Amino acid sequence: MIEVKGFSFTYPTGSRPALSDVDFEVEPRELCAVVGGGGAGKSTLAGVVSGTVPHLTGGTAQGTVRVNGRDLDDTPLSGLVGEVGLVMQNPFNQISGARFSVREEIAFGLENLGVPRDEMAARVDLVLDDLGLTGVRDRSPYELSGGQQQLLAIGSVLVMRPTVMVLDEPTSQLDAAGNALVFEALGTLKEQGVTVLLIEHRMERLAHAADRVLVLDRGAIVAKGTPGEVLADERLEEWGVAPLRYTVAARRAAGRGLWPARKPLPVTLDAAAAGFGETVDHLDRGDWR
Amino acid sequence: MIVRIDSLTFRYPNGTTALDGVSFSVEAGERVAILGANGAGKSTLARHLVGIERPASGTIEIDGRRTDGLGIAELARTVGFVFQNPDDQLHAASVVKEVGFGPRNLRFPPARRTELVESALRRTGLTELRDTHPHHLSLGERKRVALASVLAMDTPVVVLDEPTTGQDHASVVLLGNLVDDLATDGRTVLAITHDMDFCAEHFDRVIVLENGGISWDGPVAHWLAQVADMAGQTLELPQMTRLGRRLGWAGPVSTVAGFLERLASEADPAPVPSTAP
Amino acid sequence: MNAVRDTAHATGASGIHRLNPLTKLAFAVTVTVCAFAVVDYRWPLLLFGILLLPAAIGAGVLRRFLLMLTTFWVPVAVVLFVVQGFFLPGAHDVIAQLGPLKLKSEGVSFALLTALHILVLMSGFFLLLLTTHAGAFMSALSERKVSPSLIYIVSAALQIVPALSRRATRILHAQQARGQVIHGLRGRARALVPLMGPLILGAFTDVGERAAAMETRGFGATRHPTSLTAVPDSGVQRCLRAAMMLCAVAAVTVNVWGVVR
Repeated sequence: MIEVKGFSFTYPTGSRPALSDVDFEVEPRELCAVVGGGGAGKSTLAGVVSGTVPHLTGGTAQGTVRVNGRDLDDTPLSGLVGEVGLVMQNPFNQISGARFSVREEIAFGLENLGVPRDEMAARVDLVLDDLGLTGVRDRSPYELSGGQQQLLAIGSVLVMRPTVMVLDEPTSQLDAAGNALVFEALGTLKEQGVTVLLIEHRMERLAHAADRVLVLDRGAIVAKGTPGEVLADERLEEWGVAPLRYTVAARRAAGRGLWPARKPLPVTLDAAAAGFGETVDHLDRGDWR
Repeated sequence: MIVRIDSLTFRYPNGTTALDGVSFSVEAGERVAILGANGAGKSTLARHLVGIERPASGTIEIDGRRTDGLGIAELARTVGFVFQNPDDQLHAASVVKEVGFGPRNLRFPPARRTELVESALRRTGLTELRDTHPHHLSLGERKRVALASVLAMDTPVVVLDEPTTGQDHASVVLLGNLVDDLATDGRTVLAITHDMDFCAEHFDRVIVLENGGISWDGPVAHWLAQVADMAGQTLELPQMTRLGRRLGWAGPVSTVAGFLERLASEADPAPVPSTAP
Repeated sequence: MNAVRDTAHATGASGIHRLNPLTKLAFAVTVTVCAFAVVDYRWPLLLFGILLLPAAIGAGVLRRFLLMLTTFWVPVAVVLFVVQGFFLPGAHDVIAQLGPLKLKSEGVSFALLTALHILVLMSGFFLLLLTTHAGAFMSALSERKVSPSLIYIVSAALQIVPALSRRATRILHAQQARGQVIHGLRGRARALVPLMGPLILGAFTDVGERAAAMETRGFGATRHPTSLTAVPDSGVQRCLRAAMMLCAVAAVTVNVWGVVR
C-alpha cells in the first residue's frame, strides 16, 4: 500500500521543485503506472516511494509518504529492506559487483538478510526460471547483454518478495519476448497481493497491464484514472506522452464519422478492432449514418 | 552504392559466431531499419560500419572504399554513429562545444563548422539549450545532444543504435522527422530498433537478423505482408498492422494514415467484398 | 592480460579446484614463507619443482600457469638480474664486462635468490587464482566472519575495475567515431579529456546509484549474512591448514634464530 499526500520535493541543487503537491494512493493487488515526458519527475517519484529520496539524495520535502502504513519520514532505509523493492533505470548500477555469477547476484539480497541456504537456493532458482535466466545462471553479471542485465536487476529484487514493488522503466532494452516475461511476472505479483508502481514508456503494455495511470507533467500530477480514461485524453501529447496509434486512428476516423459515436476512443487492440469492426459492418450493409 | 557488405563473418574472442556470411548493399538516401531479437547480431553489424569491429572474413565498402585499412577516426568522415548511451561520449562543458567536437576533429573550416553546428542544434531542437552543461540535461535531451554531435559531422551515412529507447514522445516525433529529412537530403540512415511503429512510419526497408544471418531483406510493406500472419514473439508488429489483420483486411497497413485511407476506401460506395470478421 | 581476466571464474573438476579456498590460501602463504626462510637458491627451486609445478599439472592449469609466470615473473626476473647484477652496492667480484658496465657475481647470486623467492610467491598465488572461483573465495571469507565491507571492496575491485576498463574502451570508440585521432603523443594527450570526462562523471553517478541499490538490497542489514555457495571443507583440510601454519611459524623462527645466532 502506497499513500502519498501533498508531497513536494526539491533537490539540493534544484531551482524548481522536482515534485509539487503530489497526491495519490496505490492499493495492494493494484498496478499503477506513471507516465510523462522527460524531466517530469517520474524517477524522483520512484525514489520517493522506495525511500531513497530524500534519505540518500538530500533536498527539501513537504507532505507525507506512507508505505504499508509507515511514514517514510521516520523510517530508515534499512527498515524497508525486503518490504519495498526498487528496480532502477540503469541495470548496470543495480548489480552489486560483490557477486561473480548471475545466480549469486540474485541471492545477494537474501544473503544480506540471513535467509537459510536451502530456502535461498529454491527461491533463486524459481526467479531464474520465471525470467528465462537459467541458461546464463553461471555467467558473470557483467558479461550479460543490456537486456539480460535488466532481467537480472528485476530478478534480484523479485527474489526478496517485497510487498511493494517500484520499477523505473525496467524493460527499455528488452525485446518483445523479454518484455512479455517481465509483464507476466508483474501479473503474478499482483495476484499475490503486491502493490506495484511502474514507470513505463510503452503505452500499449500499460493499456493492458495497468489498473490505473498517473500522468506527471513538470512535477505535478495532471491526470489520473483508468488507462482507458487517461490514455485516450486528447491532452496526452501536450503532457509529453505518446498516444497509442489506435486512439489516434479512432480520433481521426471519428472526425470523418467513421468511428461509432457512442464508443469511447480505444486504447487496446481489442477495443479498436471492435469499434472499427462495427464501422466496417455498417459500411458493408450500407446503413452507415 | 554507399554501403556494400559482402559475406561478412565475425566471431567473438570466445569463438562464438556473431555474424555469419552477411551480405547486403544500401543506396544513398535509403532509410534502413535493422531488426532482430536481443543477441541476433544487430549491434555487432553496426559496429563494423564504423570500424570498431573488424570482420573475420568478408568485406565492407563504404562510399566506394574498402574499410580494411581505415581507422575508426578516418571512417568518421563517411559514417556517423550515434551510440545508444550518450553518457559514453559527452565531455564538453556546453552543448554547443560538444556538438562542435566532431567537426573540429574533422578539420572543417571555421565558417563551415559554425554552419554545421547551428544546423544540427536546430534540427534536434537544442538551440535554446546551447550553453547548458550536458550533465544538467535529462536523458532524452542528452541523447539528442549525442545525435546532434553526429549530425554536425555531415557524414553521408548515419547509423543510429536504438534511437527511441528512453526517449519521450516529443523526442521520438523529432527523431522521426529527422530521419525523413536526412533521407530527403540524400543521406543514408541505418537504424537498429525494437520500435516497430517507428520503423513502419519512417523507414523504407528492413533487414532482419536472426542468429547472425539475414532472414529478411526488403521493403517494409513486403516484410509486413510476409510476417503479418505469423504470431511474432520476438518482434511486435506495428499497431496498425495488427489492427488491419484483426479486421481481416488482405495486405498489410502499417501507419495511421495508411489505415484511414484504407478505411475511407471501404466507405466508398464502390462494391467492396465483405471482409468483416 | 586475458590470462588474468578470466581467473575470477575459474572452473574445473580437479581435487585442487575442490579444496577449500582457505586451504589454498594457507598453502600459498606457507610455501612463500618457507621459501624466504632459507638463504639458498636451491631451496625455493626445490619447492617450485616438487610442490608448485606438480600442483599446477595436477589441477590441469599448467598452460595458463606458465603463461601467467611468463607475463609477470619473467619481466621482474630480468629487471632484477640487470639492476642487481650490475649495480649491487658493495659487490667486487667481476665476472664479465660490457663496455663501462661490470657484471658482479654477488649481484647475480642476490638476483637469482630474490627472483626464485618471487617465483615461489607468484606461483602459490597464481595457483590459488587459477583454481578458485572468486565467489567461492569470498564465501569462504564470509564464513570466517571477515567483514562484509572488506569482502565487498575486494570483490568489487575484481569486477568493477574490468567493467570500468570496458567502459573506457567504449568511450574511446565513441570519440574516435567522432573523428578523434589518438595516434602519437599529442593525439593521446588530447584524447585524455574526452576520455576521462565521461569516465569520471559516469563513475560518480554510478557510485551514488549503486549505493542506493545496495542499501535497498539490505547490504549490511544483519551481522550474520548467509551465503548461497557452500564452501567444501573437511577435518583433514582443517588439520592441514593448522599444520601448514605451524610449518610457516617454524620456518620464521628458525630463520630469525639463525640470524640472531
